[in-house]
Amino acid sequence: MQLAVNIVVLASIYALICSGYVLIYRVSRVLSLAHGELMMLGAYGLYATASLFNGHPLLAVPAAGVLALLVGVAVYAALMWRMTGESVLAAVLATIALGILLRGAMILVFGTQTQHPLRDLGWSNASLAVGSARISAVGLALVLATALTYGALFAFLRGTRWGIRMRAAGQNPLLAAQRGIGLHGVYALAWGLATFTGGMAGMLIACDAGLEGTLVIVGLKAFPAALVGGLDSLAGALVGSLVVSAAEVLLIHYVDPLLSDVVPFVVLLAMLAVRPWGLLGTREQLDRV
Amino acid sequence: MKKIVCTVAAALLPCGTASAQDAYVIGVSAAMTGPVAPNYAPVVEAMKAYLEHVNGRGGVNGKPVRVVVLDDQAQPSRAATNSKQLLAQDKVAMLLNVSLSSTYAPMIAESKRAGVPLFFAGAVCPKETYPPADPLQFCSTAFGANLDSQAALAFVRSNSREPVRLGLAAMAIPIARAEIDYAEELSKTLGMAPVEKQISPPPAPDYTPFATKLKEANPNWVWSWSPWVSQVRIFEAMRRLGWSGRYVTWAHLNAEEELARIRDGEFYVIGTNAFMEDSLPVHAEIRAIAARSRLDYPVSYLTEGFVAGLVVETALRNTAWPPTPEKVVNAMNHLKVDLRGLRGGPLEWTKDNHFRTRQYYRVWRWDPASNRIVRAQDWQAIDVKR
Repeated sequence: MQLAVNIVVLASIYALICSGYVLIYRVSRVLSLAHGELMMLGAYGLYATASLFNGHPLLAVPAAGVLALLVGVAVYAALMWRMTGESVLAAVLATIALGILLRGAMILVFGTQTQHPLRDLGWSNASLAVGSARISAVGLALVLATALTYGALFAFLRGTRWGIRMRAAGQNPLLAAQRGIGLHGVYALAWGLATFTGGMAGMLIACDAGLEGTLVIVGLKAFPAALVGGLDSLAGALVGSLVVSAAEVLLIHYVDPLLSDVVPFVVLLAMLAVRPWGLLGTREQLDRV
Repeated sequence: MKKIVCTVAAALLPCGTASAQDAYVIGVSAAMTGPVAPNYAPVVEAMKAYLEHVNGRGGVNGKPVRVVVLDDQAQPSRAATNSKQLLAQDKVAMLLNVSLSSTYAPMIAESKRAGVPLFFAGAVCPKETYPPADPLQFCSTAFGANLDSQAALAFVRSNSREPVRLGLAAMAIPIARAEIDYAEELSKTLGMAPVEKQISPPPAPDYTPFATKLKEANPNWVWSWSPWVSQVRIFEAMRRLGWSGRYVTWAHLNAEEELARIRDGEFYVIGTNAFMEDSLPVHAEIRAIAARSRLDYPVSYLTEGFVAGLVVETALRNTAWPPTPEKVVNAMNHLKVDLRGLRGGPLEWTKDNHFRTRQYYRVWRWDPASNRIVRAQDWQAIDVKR
């Protein structure tokens, strides 16, 4: 039972992070390699709002979410819109440069000390019973946040005008533009939503384990899960996260904990050999970066 | 903020105005930025602040000490470039490494080529600093491989009424794994039963899977020796899984602050530096210097850097003007530094021992009854021999 809970929590972490990779790739075909940094920036946003709205966590948390959304839109407006129409490689390189810039900027602004946003919010990470297993309050929040995020994204993409525009822009940008869809608005929204979900993952991980520079690496560790599921499929991201986290948790428990670092990439290599477009990805969308 | 800018800018413009001709110049390659910076940057900032304080009092032997800090981001290639620059351009009389062990090899090579002593401060002491020591490598860092496990397991043994079922936890980095492997073997010789050993990668998104396996082995004590993040997250995950045993771990720079955050009466930290809680006269001085230098870190993070500062000051004081690398090495080979209570005794280097002749350990924990940090064990000395 405890193993099942561990798998679900880890899968939730990966899935929440992956949703950002998938959203941006699905809509604009850009692979954002700054996602880990944007995730960490989201966590620092919570740290900042927790200090700003000291004693008012119910204000601080939504404020941090809005901040993450605006940061994503600002990243698109300030940098990524210039990449529209350029080669995919140029856009990917731009995200790498953005990541390096953000890493340096965060150290300059926030320093190198480990921060504890959960403590700053005045909350504690209680241990809760789930049958015979236990889960932390933040772990439970992660699972719920992931479920809500995916539910909301599916509903948004299928049932709203802007969601349909995003799908249209992702499928055929030229045709979408000719039909009057403002691509810049759609792309900006995708970046905003991706940074929001990534930022939320960063906030929750930071609440569980503290906020420090290694959070960027956690962001990258989720990347294989997105590729295993299929980089342009939200459902694939869920499945990929579940596959990778199950392999990781079971190997830690039954074989060797050291394998946990390797196994996501072993699963990824196996997937690339057998089905390069991922479990639920679209075959014709596979591109070489 | 100003300090960080100054440090980053140091790669281009050394912070300070004294030239090599009228100052003792020492060069530091440190992980000032990057993921591991929290372990190293406070050491450099504190040491610089102390040496600025020394300069304010008239310097060493009437000369100022100039500290050139270059950021290596814990990358070996940058450490190599930094060493070359410090030696060729800044003509330093002493090199300092305050970074990850991956940066050691290029710095050691450059130090040997130039015949300039290399002092590890706040960085893991290489085995070459232990007796019989390498002629050019010195170390003042609090933690010491093997000795720490000896001290920790001695504490466990003296505080256990029932047989010890020992859990072991480390991060998957070479030095931590080697130490935990050593502790596993040592525990057997002490009559303990090592029941599980968990090695977690740096970093893990969730430490619960590692903690689950450790908890299921049902240890009544766990010893963990790793970077703080790994030590404490495994512990917190075990507690959330309902484990009620006792956990001993190494007291890193942030240990005092973290004990107050975690507030668990059975979470012990073992270390060689006094805590600010001790309120020694030197602590008042540290507070004053930190305030004057506007250091960004809590004062409880600064002891290791002040120890390094005291060592540099004493070594240079014993180096007659004008300084040469040979004179500095000679001074460092016969060094006794009064640490003014920051450790259990003086730091002493001999020609054969560049680690220290005696290592003192103290253990602390949070006392829920008095709601403060208390000593679980006072200074215990271990002689450092061949």
